[in-house]
Amino acid sequence: MSSFMRLPLALLLMFTVLLGMSNAQAAPFTLQADETLQPAVAALYTAQYGTAPTFVTTDADLIATTDRTLLPEDSVSVPPHFLPDAFFVVRSESASAFVDFAISPDGQQTLIDAGFLPASVTIVDQVGNTLDIPQPVRRAITPYSLATYVIYGVGAADRLVAGGYLGARTPEGAARMEAIDPRFPELSSYVMNQREINIEEIANLAPDVIFASARSAWLDTVAELGIPTVLFQGESPELLKQSLTLAGQIFGPNAAARAAAWIAYYDRVLSAVVAQTSGLSDAERPRVLVIGTEPLRVISGDMYQTDIVAAAGGQSVSAELKGSWNDVNLEQVVLWDPDVIIIVPYGNVTVATLTDSPEWQVIKAVQDGKVYKMPSWVAPWDTPVPDSVLGIIWLAQKLFPERIALDCSAEAVTFFNAFYGYDIPRDDIAAVCAS
Amino acid sequence: MRLLTMRRVWAASAPARAGDLLYAALLLLPFALIIAALMVGLYTISVENVLRALLAPFFPDLANGLTTTELTLVQRIRLPRVLSAALIGATLASTGSAFQGIFKNPLVDSNLLGVTSGAGFGAALALLLGGTTLVVQGFAFGFGLLAVLLAYAGSRIYSTAPMIVLTLMGILIGSFFGSLTSLMKYVADPLNTLPAITFWLLGGLTGVTWQSVPTLALLTVCGSLFLWSVRWRLNILSLGDTEATTLGMNPNRLKLAIIVCATLMTAAAVAVGGVVGWVGLVIPHAGRILVGPDHKRLIPVSLALGASFLLVIDTLSRTLLSTEVPLGILTGLVGVPLLIVLLRRNQTGW
Repeated sequence: MSSFMRLPLALLLMFTVLLGMSNAQAAPFTLQADETLQPAVAALYTAQYGTAPTFVTTDADLIATTDRTLLPEDSVSVPPHFLPDAFFVVRSESASAFVDFAISPDGQQTLIDAGFLPASVTIVDQVGNTLDIPQPVRRAITPYSLATYVIYGVGAADRLVAGGYLGARTPEGAARMEAIDPRFPELSSYVMNQREINIEEIANLAPDVIFASARSAWLDTVAELGIPTVLFQGESPELLKQSLTLAGQIFGPNAAARAAAWIAYYDRVLSAVVAQTSGLSDAERPRVLVIGTEPLRVISGDMYQTDIVAAAGGQSVSAELKGSWNDVNLEQVVLWDPDVIIIVPYGNVTVATLTDSPEWQVIKAVQDGKVYKMPSWVAPWDTPVPDSVLGIIWLAQKLFPERIALDCSAEAVTFFNAFYGYDIPRDDIAAVCAS
Repeated sequence: MRLLTMRRVWAASAPARAGDLLYAALLLLPFALIIAALMVGLYTISVENVLRALLAPFFPDLANGLTTTELTLVQRIRLPRVLSAALIGATLASTGSAFQGIFKNPLVDSNLLGVTSGAGFGAALALLLGGTTLVVQGFAFGFGLLAVLLAYAGSRIYSTAPMIVLTLMGILIGSFFGSLTSLMKYVADPLNTLPAITFWLLGGLTGVTWQSVPTLALLTVCGSLFLWSVRWRLNILSLGDTEATTLGMNPNRLKLAIIVCATLMTAAAVAVGGVVGWVGLVIPHAGRILVGPDHKRLIPVSLALGASFLLVIDTLSRTLLSTEVPLGILTGLVGVPLLIVLLRRNQTGW
């Protein structure tokens, strides 16, 4: 920022400070901060209350710190981060308004003005484009509906102004999504997906950033608007993790911390499952067929679902196929003779579709009754979204009921609390996991 | 002049021994191919076991020693699929020949009046409403008929040049239903119904089981018999309405009957196999190259050749790779070189 811009800001700051003194409006909580963090916290505090804070040294309602030992042990939830690695420990509700401000775009702007955060970040998206994104990002749109859930995962959904929601088109999915985020009906009311987008509507929405699939048909048109467009193409665990990291870089310190926490949680779940199944030989790993919206439409080896099967300790029988969904015939399924068949959460195929079909009776999985429909809450658990961690847990439980200690519904409660900030109804999720 | 040409053509295709042999061979070809197609598949089953599985319903003893898998694959997977391929191919090619005859236009097929577009919309609508396979097939069939009915009703507005107006109405109704199908795809859930609609519109026989066969077989057989029975009248129709009337025929009534029959057949074929393009347009030409333009032989040969062609294509589709190769890709890739070879060898008049 140029110096002539700083002068009016400084004057404004002085003015608000004076105003604050005359209108003494003390914060309703006590504040404690690491010495190194005090200037940044003071900037936030001054911006919010118009007066410099008084730091206490003990028993504060709110502690700004980098000390992770103050956090409850093995909690998945992420404390609010206002700077990289610096977070608040909230000990009283009275401080929550201030914390909300600190991690909001306004708070981020305050810290940028005071020089604690960069005014823009440079990122490299998943197709290798280098983008310069001014901070803070206040308005984002996600025509790539998987990216929508990535934004929820990093806790930046309040900055969404429009997006596609995979799995929320059914009445049940829509009701659940609205329970998670009351703004859902408004955010999803635009037509935007990989194939189409209304360019004038996008211009009206005036987003700071667009999150799109690399396969979107309208990229050239949107490029004319000059809005930074971050391209995702996450069909592997590594790319999924990377998409969260990117979202974290783009939305600031709190989002970055959430992204890191999700990656840590994902890795922890994976290693917990792997620890139980690593001793298995290939012969002991169930051979799994994942089918899609038609009984004879199966996954390819290039798809994320193959990684989910592998992560859960199985092996996908259709891994040699390429590209996206493949249509096969029943003779091929007979050749594969899968031990387990998984039906994706979406589409009209049900377990009964296969078990009631005389033709499918020759398949081992059908004979053994090992045909399952993968559950989902809103986002499908088989797609590259943060929720897919639950798909891995659920599948591992189905493949190795005796070996896997993780519990789908308990993990779902943890996951939704930590990454959607949503207290999922216990009975409902238990029923979903058991289905 | 035209009469003279036709007479010469008839004379050219008049009984000649080699021609008769070819004709007989062509008519027997689909039956040989049905047997051959049943023998092959991704899952290896010996020829003997395939034959035993086929005959097992009549001689239960033959099933001894066969695995359930072999029995299921031959009886429940290969047989209905192979029969459907033959029936659909026969339908598309023979109705294509009939349409080319009555519209006196070598560039049309039985979709001219919008039956496929109507059927596509019906299937998309049923898929959007979450219908079962039978409901989807019923909707496809019903809307296929509806499209042609609308085109026909629309053409009645004008009393002059009914065939031209009918053609125009067919194209209009076809594109109208095409737009409706696009609308269905637009409002479809990209996760649930859209893939199902796209899958259906592409055409393919991978999901065919016995439940699809009876209606298809009934309509194809009855329709083919009707087309067969009017095959010589088609020759007179293709001379023109005035000539046909002079020869004591009611051309409009016959055309209507043929349109109704071809539409019923095509709707049934599309309802089961989805949109399989190309066959109805090109197989009649292959037939003409082989046996000449006389409908007396062209209709039976179109039936046989269409059935044979789609059998070959579908067998390739299900055996070439571990994933199904879409029929639409193979019909063009295999059919075009085949047609060019035929064109070079026999340079017959249209």
